Amino acid sequence: MNFNEQQIQRYARHILLDHVGGTGQSKLLQAKVLVVGAGGLGSPVLLYLAAAGVGTIGVIDDDRVDLSNLQRQIVHSTDSVGMAKVESAKKTIAAINPEVNIVALNERITVDNALDLIGDYDLVADGSDNFPTRFLVNDACYFTQKTLVSAAILRFDGQVYTFKPHQKDDHGNALPCYRCLFPEAPPPGQIPSCAEAGVLGALCGTIGSLQATEIIKELLGIGDSLAGSLMIYEGLSSEFRKISVKADPGCPLCGENPSIIDLSGHGS
Amino acid sequence: MKITLKLYAALGKHLPDHAVRGEVEIDVDSGDTLERVLVAHDVPLEHCHLVLVNGHYVAPSERAGKVLEDGDALAVWPPVAGG
Repeated sequence: MNFNEQQIQRYARHILLDHVGGTGQSKLLQAKVLVVGAGGLGSPVLLYLAAAGVGTIGVIDDDRVDLSNLQRQIVHSTDSVGMAKVESAKKTIAAINPEVNIVALNERITVDNALDLIGDYDLVADGSDNFPTRFLVNDACYFTQKTLVSAAILRFDGQVYTFKPHQKDDHGNALPCYRCLFPEAPPPGQIPSCAEAGVLGALCGTIGSLQATEIIKELLGIGDSLAGSLMIYEGLSSEFRKISVKADPGCPLCGENPSIIDLSGHGS
Repeated sequence: MKITLKLYAALGKHLPDHAVRGEVEIDVDSGDTLERVLVAHDVPLEHCHLVLVNGHYVAPSERAGKVLEDGDALAVWPPVAGG
């Protein structure tokens, strides 16, 4: 792929990197990423993917911008209050990098649209705010064999994971999916959301930026994939941990005798 | 025998009052399993999403049978789904 003068200038600091170069930047310009949720995590992910020149970014969210979002959801601004989040994000991204093709999907990801939607993209980034969506996205990524880079936050803490159970690690071992780690969602109402328990705004930037870094690594195929590990950050103690995790042979989705063979167990 | 119990984030409320910085040394019986210790401390098992012993991940299917040893450090994180 040939770059024009503006592209050479815009992406110069990427092209300088040995692990990226012109070849890597071309990969980013041709990549297609679906971001689930345009909230606290989706904001930095969208901003950094757009700035990096990821060619097509889909963003799905059925919510509208509320004043209480602006403490952390930095892709939105005060004049976007009341606007659909995906339209607000599209406006911000167009201002950062007009080369990016933004697909704004003002709807929820559901059992009816998940497979078709995810099938159109190279990779999925989950920044949703609830367990049912996280399990649906995991299962749909497994059935479409798409890499899933997921993150979650609450109060002062966050977690980042990469799931690609359709691949093996360097030693030929199976890689886990979300259900290998968390077979089922906790009972509804028992685990508070950010709206109920609060979240430090800057934490979204910490965790969302880690998520964006892992996405770009996966798109470029560089470095050590986070698949097979998970990262935990504890803001109050300023501690990062990287923990090795493994595929569960008893996983109901990707295990040896799966009980989940399609998305029919998810509500519409 | 003694082990160290570390409960993170909202699970910290299940620690005894004398816990410091989210962890406490506790007495457990020889042969006690990880799940038995958590139940004895009123930690709801459905809230134990990530469990480590001495820094090593213990898969959900291994927890019921995981026997703790003297000096082990048991660390547990609750589920997180915020975005």
